[in-house]
Amino acid sequence: MINFERFTLENGLKVIVHDDPSTDIVAVNLLYNVGSCDESPEKTGFAHLFEHLMFEGSINIPSFDNPLQMVGGENNAFTSNDITNYYINLPKENIETAFWLESDRMLSLDFSEKKLEIQKNVVIEEYNQRYLNQPYGDVFLLLRPLAYKVHPYQWPTIGKDISHIRNASLQDVKDFFMHHYAPNNAILSVAGDVKLQEVKLLAEKWFAPIEKRQVYNRNLPKEPAQKEKRILEVERNVPYDAIYIAFHMSSKLDKDYYTSDLISDLLSNGKSSRLYQNLVKKHKLFSDINAYITGEIDEGLFIIAGKLMQGIKMQEAEKAIYEEISQIIHGPIDEYEIEKVKNKFESTHQFGQLSVLNKAMDLAYQELLGDAGKINAEVENYRNVSVQDIRIVADKMFKSENSSTLYYYSKNNR
Amino acid sequence: MLNRKQHPEYKTIKHIDIPVPEKISLANGSNIFIFNTGTQEIIKIEVIFDAGSWYQEKPFVSASVNEMLLEGTKMLNAQQIAEKLDFYGAFMQPAPTKDHGSITLYTLKKYFPKTIELLAESIKKPVFPEHELGIYKNKRKQQFIIEMEKVTSLARREFNARLFGEKHPYGYIAEADDYDKLNQADLLNFHKKYYHPGTCKIIISGKVSDADIKLTEQHFGQNDWIKQTDAPKLQLDYPINSQNEYIVEKEDVTQTAIRIGKIIINKEHPDFHKLNVVNTILGGYFGSRLMKVIREEKGYTYGINSVIVSLANAAFFVIVSEVGADVARDAVHDIEHEIKILREKPVTKGELSIVKNYMLGDILRSFDGPLEISSAYRSIIDIDLNPGYFHQAINAIKEITPEEIMHLANMYLNETSFIKTFAGKYE
Repeated sequence: MINFERFTLENGLKVIVHDDPSTDIVAVNLLYNVGSCDESPEKTGFAHLFEHLMFEGSINIPSFDNPLQMVGGENNAFTSNDITNYYINLPKENIETAFWLESDRMLSLDFSEKKLEIQKNVVIEEYNQRYLNQPYGDVFLLLRPLAYKVHPYQWPTIGKDISHIRNASLQDVKDFFMHHYAPNNAILSVAGDVKLQEVKLLAEKWFAPIEKRQVYNRNLPKEPAQKEKRILEVERNVPYDAIYIAFHMSSKLDKDYYTSDLISDLLSNGKSSRLYQNLVKKHKLFSDINAYITGEIDEGLFIIAGKLMQGIKMQEAEKAIYEEISQIIHGPIDEYEIEKVKNKFESTHQFGQLSVLNKAMDLAYQELLGDAGKINAEVENYRNVSVQDIRIVADKMFKSENSSTLYYYSKNNR
Repeated sequence: MLNRKQHPEYKTIKHIDIPVPEKISLANGSNIFIFNTGTQEIIKIEVIFDAGSWYQEKPFVSASVNEMLLEGTKMLNAQQIAEKLDFYGAFMQPAPTKDHGSITLYTLKKYFPKTIELLAESIKKPVFPEHELGIYKNKRKQQFIIEMEKVTSLARREFNARLFGEKHPYGYIAEADDYDKLNQADLLNFHKKYYHPGTCKIIISGKVSDADIKLTEQHFGQNDWIKQTDAPKLQLDYPINSQNEYIVEKEDVTQTAIRIGKIIINKEHPDFHKLNVVNTILGGYFGSRLMKVIREEKGYTYGINSVIVSLANAAFFVIVSEVGADVARDAVHDIEHEIKILREKPVTKGELSIVKNYMLGDILRSFDGPLEISSAYRSIIDIDLNPGYFHQAINAIKEITPEEIMHLANMYLNETSFIKTFAGKYE
């Protein structure tokens, strides 16, 4: 049970406080409700590029990192399709430094052509390192646009193409800031040995003077139901063939979400899972296979990804995956197996709540979804899923016309 | 009126509480280190042996033994072990390293009696079934071949080989085909020789009760497993490198992986902690000089860092990065220039106090919670988890002066003494 309190400033900033007296470290997490889904199709990768610029100094503070390191703190951030999340971990005595730093960069950044140029290069190298210069690194650059034709989830957070990063202008960057970075588009959560009153005073002092802004009103197009199986074949300089199948699934706010997540656990969480036992160990078709959900807020993807053993044909591998799927819909699932994946979820959840940082992040994210209190209902939500639910959701989701399949061939093998 | 240019008062970290383990030495030679701490009903237990690749006579034997402990015992087959672990929501993580073979169990406290039984059984009585070994070898071989497509892996392998020598256990160049040569007898022999109570150290953290400790003693303190053996100690014999640049060519790359470094003092040397501060200034944190120049000023890379790796029988210093293939030479030039500055110009007071405070904060963070405490102590397993290590580190950070930094940089980090390895393009 995670206890917390919350309040909202007049400018719309939501604040959550979780008191954990067991640690000397305090986590300050600031979530902005902006992700790569808010980008225009001609300017993708922007939310993430912007995240980099947030560390380049703000209107009153030339360096973000130096003062924080000076007080023994550490920070980082990540951008997803839905959100941009910034966090600071620091000794509790210095909590005010975090408020000073975060509020100033919410107020305004110290924009400059030079900083933009440098961060464009850094992001291009990130693109190279993580997507282009890695075996199988470009999979999501291929799979997302195959699965989504309308919804902006069709590009990964790094962006569709490096040229979008190269062409970003300072004006684009400023516009992005004004449209998305605002107290009324953010959630601040603080976890550690802190009291509500202290956080209230600090929030009033540093964040309350920032004016509410006219933020962009998100109105994402809905991805139309897919009508036929989509296939993409590519050939790459990799040692082994691989297959990636993406099925459209429910949104995060739908109760089918938990069911889909449990289905992915039945298939591939742990060494006792079905795909591992049957396809890796028994039939020796794959060296590696995984099923997982991408976890976005709008309708996301259920993905099955496997690397084939040398000599195994793509069709044979795909057929075996579909047989496992069919077993979920029509075959036996006993209570023991369901209990097992639920236990595993509960345990993962417990281990996930060991650090104040994780708790702060989770609270802010749940608040974004509607209510931070949901953090305490998670285990119950998974516990409530029945065998019947699993069959219904699996039957709905695992239709070949709902699938996008990427055949990723090795050049050597063809 | 709020003055946003003025920072809130910086409070320096006055005191860091260093948790001290309760130590129990068992009659069979193994030792338990206990940290009863944390708020969650969980337990982490790591069992560590002197059984790393240092000791193996054939490539991949030590890692295979370690990773196959869960693939079947006298009582349970691989599937039964996996079923039980998953049912209790537990995780077991093998970790083969150069010096050690270790296995960590993460479990809910309520299932500890069940899960520790599985842990003990897997460690003490594995059988490495032929059939499972066959699957393991094929799978790992493919994963190895994929790994060797990554410039960063190629550079690492090359660097270790040039630093220690290709025949040295820390530098050995393994090939994918080496997996084919592994057999069951190799694994059984290695296990028999090296997974014994004599070098067994157990670190247990979380909500640990007396009953949990008793159980641990019962499972690991008896004489129902192999007896102590003596592992051979190799003599270190470093190669004489005729050149200092080594390039592993790879076609069609966008980035080149860089590893630059040298053999250096290990954590038992009196200069170690202060040298660690020197390293931090150069490349040991986000605000380091290498990050500032190579990433933030030049935009050559997504990340660059340097580290001192202290192993049981040697230590080395290394700078690691992946940089744009077309700017690799420029990046190396700038890296060397930064080291030269470190040797020739005293660090300013301002920079030094940032580094000191950052490092103290980092030590504070490394004791935040049961998982972190156990990892912090795991890193000093070779010096018997002596808490004095952390006190020495704190003192060194507090005491070090700009003059000492220059002196240490000159003594240990002369850029002309480095071995430089590259994977990708280096033109």
